[in-house]
Amino acid sequence: MLDFKLEDIDGILVRYNVALEKEMTPDEAAEELYPKDELIYPIAKAIYEGEEDDVVDALKAAIDAGKKPIDLINDALMVGMGVVSQLYDEGIIFLPNVMMSADAMLNGIDYCKTQTTEVPEPKGKVVCHVAEGDVHDIGKNIVAALLRAAGYDVTDLGRDVPVDEVIAAVVKEKPILLTGTALMTTTMYAFKEINDKLLEKGIKLPFACGGGAVNQDFVAQYDLGVYGEEASDAVKIADAIVASGDDIEKLREEFHKH
Amino acid sequence: MVKKYTSMAYAKADDMLFGNSKFPVKAGLGLEIGAGYTTPELNYAPRPQAGKSKEKLVKEYERITTDAMARMVQIGAPSIVLETEHVEQMSNNPDWGGAVAHAQKTIMEEYHDEYGIKCALRHTIGDIREDRDYLQLRGDKYSTFMEAFEQCAQNGADLLSVESMGGKEVFDYSILRNDTAGILFGIGVLGSMDMEMVWSDIADIAKKNGVVAAGDTDCAQANTAMFIAGGLLDKNLAHTTAIVARAISAGRSLCAYESGATGPGKDCGYENTIIKSIAGVPIAQEGKTSTCAHSDLMGNLTMQCCDLWSNESVEYHGEFGGTTVQCWSETLAYDCAMMNTSLKLGKAKDLRDILTLSDKYRDPQGYVLAYDNAYKVGQAIAKNGSNNYLRAKAAAIECCKIVEEGINSGKLRLTRFETNALAKVKADLEALTDDADKFMSDNLTKFKQEVAVFKTENYGL
Repeated sequence: MLDFKLEDIDGILVRYNVALEKEMTPDEAAEELYPKDELIYPIAKAIYEGEEDDVVDALKAAIDAGKKPIDLINDALMVGMGVVSQLYDEGIIFLPNVMMSADAMLNGIDYCKTQTTEVPEPKGKVVCHVAEGDVHDIGKNIVAALLRAAGYDVTDLGRDVPVDEVIAAVVKEKPILLTGTALMTTTMYAFKEINDKLLEKGIKLPFACGGGAVNQDFVAQYDLGVYGEEASDAVKIADAIVASGDDIEKLREEFHKH
Repeated sequence: MVKKYTSMAYAKADDMLFGNSKFPVKAGLGLEIGAGYTTPELNYAPRPQAGKSKEKLVKEYERITTDAMARMVQIGAPSIVLETEHVEQMSNNPDWGGAVAHAQKTIMEEYHDEYGIKCALRHTIGDIREDRDYLQLRGDKYSTFMEAFEQCAQNGADLLSVESMGGKEVFDYSILRNDTAGILFGIGVLGSMDMEMVWSDIADIAKKNGVVAAGDTDCAQANTAMFIAGGLLDKNLAHTTAIVARAISAGRSLCAYESGATGPGKDCGYENTIIKSIAGVPIAQEGKTSTCAHSDLMGNLTMQCCDLWSNESVEYHGEFGGTTVQCWSETLAYDCAMMNTSLKLGKAKDLRDILTLSDKYRDPQGYVLAYDNAYKVGQAIAKNGSNNYLRAKAAAIECCKIVEEGINSGKLRLTRFETNALAKVKADLEALTDDADKFMSDNLTKFKQEVAVFKTENYGL
């Protein structure tokens, strides 16, 4: 077959990612961010490495040395996950690293809970679901994992969730944010029905929607809709609500990019 | 017992070309696919509100069909395939799908009778074999699933397809955790087992109704990996990992043809060039004219060996140039006119190589799917063709080897992240057993523990 000379390729494509790649390896970048406390450091490092057993071993050591299990959730586990989130946001590590770290962190939280009667305080509650008629849930699973990793209490309703079940969950859980994902055009119409039923009940909360065929124009058609282009936007939307309130217009100004 | 492919349809990669397949397929109204010319394949999605009732949905598809057929005769396109990918309402209610097929085919027949335009209707049934919590591949929904094929075949669909989901529960878990064995197990083993069951039954329905069993795609898995991988700057999944998933997917999608399908394979099966090299069946592909649906870093390359050229999917609504189905079918038709002109002029192989080369070094995915390298993956599969696990593993290992060669040539330039991810996948693959039974046993044990929604009875295990 025909082929290029090596020097001809640059005129056809520019590999911006190679040119931009940081000199530092991910491990070196993480090392710079770990907390220095000698009891906290191994916990944060084990979370970055996604090693569940090492997380528990390091937690045990910290508890044996006098740290309170409830404090370790915020001061060690969340800090370790913060390192991972920062590196992901900066484009230094990939999503699978985040998912494995999230698994390790949640395992660590479960362990801490077994060591205390105190109840950890979540940053807020979020209800997640996949639209009725739609069984594609990998996007929702990523959203839920990232939210949990960021310290939110997630009620995951699963996939193919009937509209009324979503409404009932919002009434019961009183979340700060509802999320919905969909792959198909005709299933995402359920988002509008959820919006209308929530408003009928006088419930006004941000409803972050995204996935497959979902686009900003569609989401902006209903009053509560906030469009999320990436799964990680769900965390950013939740953080924005915690920081500055749930004004939907303000959230749209920040997250509607098109 | 299905007959597995253990040899290549083409003696060499250079024999593969767009618009030409070793085994062309006659379908619909005067159309022959892979018989020396390419044909546009238009795909579309109804507007959100259209799913509210059967009547609204049928009306929506009537509008779509009329718009597309009218634009094709307005611009003088000689042929068109319409692909209706079912919304869930149509597959869960087979009579809805049948009614849509009937309405569409009636309109297409009118255009064929009046203008002689060659055309065919593909219906792609939704894989509805799930309940809220689990894949239920062999449960109650299987009969509804098959009834949806039957209704469409009886009412006007010429080509039957599906984007089947077998293995997805294990794959989804594994791809987000860089678990190479899990990716291979989900796609190459579980997915292939499900394909053999589903496609034996679809082929029977097609035969009974005198229509074409057209083939599957590993959309649910390999395209999920490609979609998560995204563009050059995205960090959600290494593109080197995504292409290994793709190479594995070729063995899975090949199972449709081993079970009685004859093609054309589905547009979003980016593994189709590999499959064409082994099975010689016509294939649909999508690329630069499917940017309405997604970005894929190989917009021209995928045209290299296509027999149908598709836009993947576009929501039906208005644009300045007409409705979306008019705009995109017109673009597809001009793409096909270009390919068909090159065939008439004897310049097709040059055009094929230009299309391939324009993307070959853009990304490891395009590099491996370039027809010369795709052929090598095909050879690895055929050499191990009689065992689903071993051929998936061989395809994955060959894929890693091809990417490494590309890197060593200096032409395929990847980031350190991508090369590290490749090294990990390669090491994982090399550590895997050659004993298919042991691999099955080890992974059944592991994923029954780790993936709550994985039910072995889905696979008859």
